[in-house]
Amino acid sequence: MTGDSLGAAAADFPALLRRRGLLNEAAQSPAVGVSSAGAVFVPTHSTTILAFKFSGGVLVAGDRRATAGNTVVYDRADKVLEIDRHSIMAIAGVPATAWEMARVLEHSLQYFRRTQLQEMSVDGKVRALSKLLRDNFGFVMQGVGVVVPIFATYDFAGDGQARLYFYDAMGAQFEVAEYAATGSGSPAVRGVLFYENRWGKKLLGKLREDDAVTLALRALDTAAEADTATGGVDRQARIFPIIKIISAAGIKTLPEEQIAARFKSTVA
Amino acid sequence: MIEEPYRWVEAIANRREYIETQLAPGSPIAALSYGGGILFVTVGQARQKLFEIYDRIALGAIGHPGDIERLRMAAIELASAEGFTRSAADVSLRRLAFYSLSPLLKTAFEQVYGAPYLARMIFAEVGAAPEGDLYLRVEYDGAIAAEGGVKRAGFCAISGTARATELMEELLQRDHDPKATLHGAMKVALDAWSIGSMPPADDLPSGLPGRPALLAYRQEKLVSATLEACVLERSAATSIRYRQLAGDELQALSA
Repeated sequence: MTGDSLGAAAADFPALLRRRGLLNEAAQSPAVGVSSAGAVFVPTHSTTILAFKFSGGVLVAGDRRATAGNTVVYDRADKVLEIDRHSIMAIAGVPATAWEMARVLEHSLQYFRRTQLQEMSVDGKVRALSKLLRDNFGFVMQGVGVVVPIFATYDFAGDGQARLYFYDAMGAQFEVAEYAATGSGSPAVRGVLFYENRWGKKLLGKLREDDAVTLALRALDTAAEADTATGGVDRQARIFPIIKIISAAGIKTLPEEQIAARFKSTVA
Repeated sequence: MIEEPYRWVEAIANRREYIETQLAPGSPIAALSYGGGILFVTVGQARQKLFEIYDRIALGAIGHPGDIERLRMAAIELASAEGFTRSAADVSLRRLAFYSLSPLLKTAFEQVYGAPYLARMIFAEVGAAPEGDLYLRVEYDGAIAAEGGVKRAGFCAISGTARATELMEELLQRDHDPKATLHGAMKVALDAWSIGSMPPADDLPSGLPGRPALLAYRQEKLVSATLEACVLERSAATSIRYRQLAGDELQALSA
């Protein structure tokens, strides 16, 4: 039972799943099923998620809409997912793949900690997600499983600073100093965040929590203005974006009432 | 040897004796319920003896490090695969111990040409309420005693010898308070460890030595050894209830 768990793969959770036949084969081999000749690969990841550093850590926010083509299929999707006590993966892309990927990543980090008796380093976590994206590239090329996440975490072992990354669909990771946004509504959000950071009253990194929440809500509202795939804030049904904050103390999910109050006083 | 049952029985008896001798110097481990969950305590040298298995399951083990490692890995693999394919709620200590680990241990123990596992373990799983807490003492031959043999005791102890374990259980039976604070539980657990690790004294007048004697004993021992403790918290913000106690917190609790 345990003989083959030794060696390089001892702490590799996807390897354990493979050994037990629990991981979908197609998801592991990018080579199979490359899209047929002539088909044009159009990446679609219809949503908006954003993250930026502020005075109290990292704020990660996502709208709630899930779409299929131009149909809204769900208006209470949670795309800001907690991976461990200090890490969040926010997802733009195909929900089935993205949620499964988040699940594998969450279990991978726990499995590593339990077996190796130490936390995985931030670089290790970032790389683990990169590997999952790369393993998924077969699906991306078939046009059915593209995932473009943001990863935010807090580096305890290192410099005690918040760290923020965005990825492309092939698994390249890019560390950012201030903010990141992905999904179909992200151009607008990047514009808002760039503008605020450059010409706003304060740098993003110096914002207080209240102001950071306001900015996130305004940015998502801006994205939803032009992008049909972004839910923004549903004023009638009172559906608000998910906002989570990572600090040294861990992850805090802002209660809906707090977001609603902030929205009413500074956005609506 | 198969044709000679007597020799097989003899071989098993020899093997049991050998394993017991190997386990005898092991430093005791006490696990007990307190107001906020389950506390594990032991004292050892550098090597870690208390481990996280899954969200609500912890392990304390004495024996050969290599064997403990193999069993620990097997337990984590089983729990993780189950938790991933189904859900964390489907990971159960009862199933893990009775249906997976126990047969594995028994097979290894009775295959007289192969090596047995030199390990004695306490597994504990924290429930939603104290009644849901589960303690299992798993032996090298696959035998499992629930709650250290005492029904619904809310504690469990292991040590190198049966006599020392009995003394620990006697003390825990007397002093254990399931509603105690973590600080109070730590005191009782340390007393239990002390009595389990004291050299055997057959001429004890009233069974258990008094608290001052236990305290003096462990203060002397702790000069050259390290206190190790972990908790399984009954309620926490996350689904992971295991937490290692360390640093200032452990210092304050054990003072």
